[in-house]
Parts: sequence; C-alpha cells; structure tokens
Amino acid sequence: MKDFMLIFIGKEYTDLGLSPEQMQERMGKWFAWNQKMQKEGVVKHGEALHPEVRQISGPNRTVTDLTAAELKEIVGGYYMVKAKDLDHACKIAQDFPDYDLGNTVEVREVLVFDEM
Amino acid sequence: MQNQQLIDHLFRHQYGKMVSILIRIFGLKHIELIEDAVQDTFAKATVQWRKKVPDNAEAWFTTAAKNRVIDLLRKLDADKSRIEKLNYSASAIAFNNLFEKEEIQDSELRMIFTACHPKLDPKDQIAFALKTIGGFSSSEIATALLLKPETVKKRLTRAKQTILKRKLNFELPAKKQLQSRLHNVLEVVYLIFNEGFHSNHNKLLVRKELCGEALRLTKLILRKEQFRCGASYALFSLLCLNSSRLGAKVDENFNSIDLKNQDRSKWYLPLINLGVNALEKANEYPDFSTYHIEAAIVTEHIKAPTFEATNWKQILELYKQLEQHQENTIVSLSIAVVFIQLNEPQNAYLILQKLEPNALEQRSYLFYGVKAKYYHCVGNIDKAISYLNTAIESVPNFAEKTYLIKKRDALLTV
Repeated sequence: MKDFMLIFIGKEYTDLGLSPEQMQERMGKWFAWNQKMQKEGVVKHGEALHPEVRQISGPNRTVTDLTAAELKEIVGGYYMVKAKDLDHACKIAQDFPDYDLGNTVEVREVLVFDEM
Repeated sequence: MQNQQLIDHLFRHQYGKMVSILIRIFGLKHIELIEDAVQDTFAKATVQWRKKVPDNAEAWFTTAAKNRVIDLLRKLDADKSRIEKLNYSASAIAFNNLFEKEEIQDSELRMIFTACHPKLDPKDQIAFALKTIGGFSSSEIATALLLKPETVKKRLTRAKQTILKRKLNFELPAKKQLQSRLHNVLEVVYLIFNEGFHSNHNKLLVRKELCGEALRLTKLILRKEQFRCGASYALFSLLCLNSSRLGAKVDENFNSIDLKNQDRSKWYLPLINLGVNALEKANEYPDFSTYHIEAAIVTEHIKAPTFEATNWKQILELYKQLEQHQENTIVSLSIAVVFIQLNEPQNAYLILQKLEPNALEQRSYLFYGVKAKYYHCVGNIDKAISYLNTAIESVPNFAEKTYLIKKRDALLTV
C-alpha cells in the first residue's frame, strides 16, 4: 500500500450559482463518499482549503491577491488515501461528487525514498 | 425492556456528542434548534429500533448527525454567515473532520466549559450540563437532583437564555482564565457525582449513570494536556475510590448499607487501583485542592480491612485540614461523627451545638441522624429515638427512610 494525494480542482459552488438545495445534495454525496472510503479503510485524512488565494512569484516575491472568482480553477481541498497503485487510487477517485460541474481530481503518489 | 434500557443508554451517550458537534458548526445561538433536531433523531431511532438495535449504533448516529448538518444548513439558510461555510466545494471534508474522535472530544469539552461558564447561575449549571453533555432527560434530572420537573425545565430555559443574552462563545477558555474556569468545571463534575453517590432513590440506574457520567467527564478533561493538574487528577482519584464502593452501598432491595456494615470484599479493586494511581499522579503537580484531602480520607477507609480497624485519628486530621480550606456544615458533621467514633462525644457535642440543620436543606436529616448517634453514644436512648424520628420525617428518599426506621426500631427494643 502506498500513499496518494487526491487534489480537488475547480470552481467554488457559489461561483457556479448553485442553489442551497443543490449544495446540500452535494454535501450529502461528499459525506457518503467519505463514509465509503472509511469503510474500506483507504482514507487517511483530508482538508478543505479557504478560497482566498495569495500568490507569491518572481525574484521580488511579488504578492498578488487573487479572489477565487478571477481564477478559473482553484484547489479546493485534498484527501490522502492508501492505495495499491495509481490505478487503484484513480478508482477511489471515481466517487468524487463534482465531475458534473467540470471540476477535476488530480491523483498523485506521495514520494518516499526508501533505503536501498 | 432490556432493549429500551440499551436504547436509553445509547442515546445518553450520543446526545451530548451530537449536540456538541452541531453547536461547534452552527454556533451556540442555535442551541434550541440543534437540541430539537437531535431529539428528532432519537425519536426516529426509537421507532426504528423497537424490534432490534442495529449492531453499529455508533455509526448510525454519526450518519444521522451528518444528515442533521445538512438539514440545519437548510433551516439556517437565512443565516448567511453560516451558509458561507458551504460555498467551498470541498467544505464537506472540513465538516467530516469534526466527526473524528479527537475533534468530538474537543467539542464535548467546549460544551462542558460552556455549561460550567461562570456567567451561568450555579444552580442552572448542573441541570444544563446533565442535559447537554450527559443527555439526561428533564425528568431524569429532576429525579436525580430531587427537584420538580418544572424546576428543571425552568433552569434549562434560563441557562439557554443566559447563553444568548451574554453571547457566550463555544470556545475552550483562554490561558489567562484556564485555572479558574477549570476549577468551575471540576466543581460541577464533583457535584454531579455526589448527586449520584448520595441520592439513594430506587432508580439505581440513574444513580449509577450520574456517577459514571462524572467519571467519564473527568477522563475527558484529563485527556487534554492543558487540563492536567493536581486538582483534576485528585478529583479523578476521589471519584474512582468512591465508585469502587458503589456496589456495596445498597442491598438487592435498594436498602442502604452503612460503612460499618458494608461487605468490604465487594469494593471493586480495579477502581481502587485506578484511584490510588491517580492520587499519586495528583501529588506530582504543585497545585493542591480539597479533592486531594477528600481522596486521602476515602483512602483511609479503604485501607482499613475492617470498620473497627479504621484509623479515625488520621481521618480526623484530614477533616480538620479540609475544614481549613472549606468550612461547611457537611464537613463539620463529618468531624462530629469521627469524634463519636473516637469515643469523644463531648467534642462532637460542641460541634453539633454550633450547626444549623437548615443549612443542609434537603439533607438536614443527616444532622438529626448524627445528633441521634451522639445521644446513643452517651447512653440517652430516648433522645436518640426522638432525633431519629425527626430525621425520618425530614428525609426525602425512601431508601434512607427505611434505613433510619430500621435504626430507630432497633433502639426501641434496647
């Protein structure tokens, strides 16, 4: 078993103009997904991220405030999961609730240097 | 019946968790709404579970609580500041994290500190803590505290109004106030335990649950590094040591058995060991509390292989120490009893002369009982009987009454 990070990228619900009912329905789907992962014992932990973004760039370390609205895509949160391989991790990511909104999941293996 | 008891027990344990988590998400100002939502959940479960309680009841409650989050979001739609939490596509992850064991405990602790907030009337604190953290119903609280159900309802309402009026927040206390706030909490837990330990009404279950709840809360407090101190460990020690004797305090017919006649082999050793270890731990901290002294007194009783072997001299010293920290009628009464045990009735008399039985409110019968003990000790049987009669008239609960009547009847045949 290796560790993988599922990174959730896309727009925020409000920017997509979802009604409160639609948001609640999605909330239910997220909860269900989390429950399924817990049952299978694959989820380690996860966090949601604030939509406020500050970007620091260039040799002058220029700080730019970016509201989520200006960004087409924003990282909304992540889950750390345990999976056999990349295929297995992608299988876990099938249940991500927001594909229909055009949001995406990036699946990345955690890099571990073991002793040779 | 067995099933109903199991359901009650489950509800009691889940109620506080659910209420605490939901308050943490939605804020104390929605406490009424949250309590109703949680009550609803339980009503539904009771109907569903009549035939069979699900194997993973805990998981059932977690799912139910998450559904309540969604329901409440819908209800509180008007409250823009809250619904904002829902704007982020992954916010469900953040909600979910509040259902992790660590976080649930954290929420429960916040609830405890809220219930024992110095801005609440001390009278309301116990009832409110029992309701919101312990999940006891108003009628159970009324039974346990020997109050009328209306009085309990009034106190609960008043506590909630105070929370709204004084705009209490759902936080653990800041470092500056930590000590005083913690002592407030320990005090309430101590009182909850004593209600269970001393009220010998027939509802033995509720009594044990009160003691168990107090123990559970103390353990919860000790889980957090910042709450570990001499006082909290000493309280835990005291509760363990006293709990070890619970099984020996009453017989199968709920009759009280006094210390003298308890079967000491029934004292529960694992709890005694836990209590002794906790007291050692308490002594490693610089702060000192009345719980240290009380735990030391119980230790003396437990150390004695028989009632006759009790080291009353040592106990007297400890009580005198306690009196310096906390002068009250119960402590003075205890000292009088110790003097009688030491066969120094004159000293007991001097104390009894100064006491005001009304200060004990519903426990005034204890005063008359000790007076009877004194007269019995000096050989004035008539006066002993007359004081026992006064005690019998003023005792509020049945088991104690039966016990006192037995004592009186034994004297009548002397």
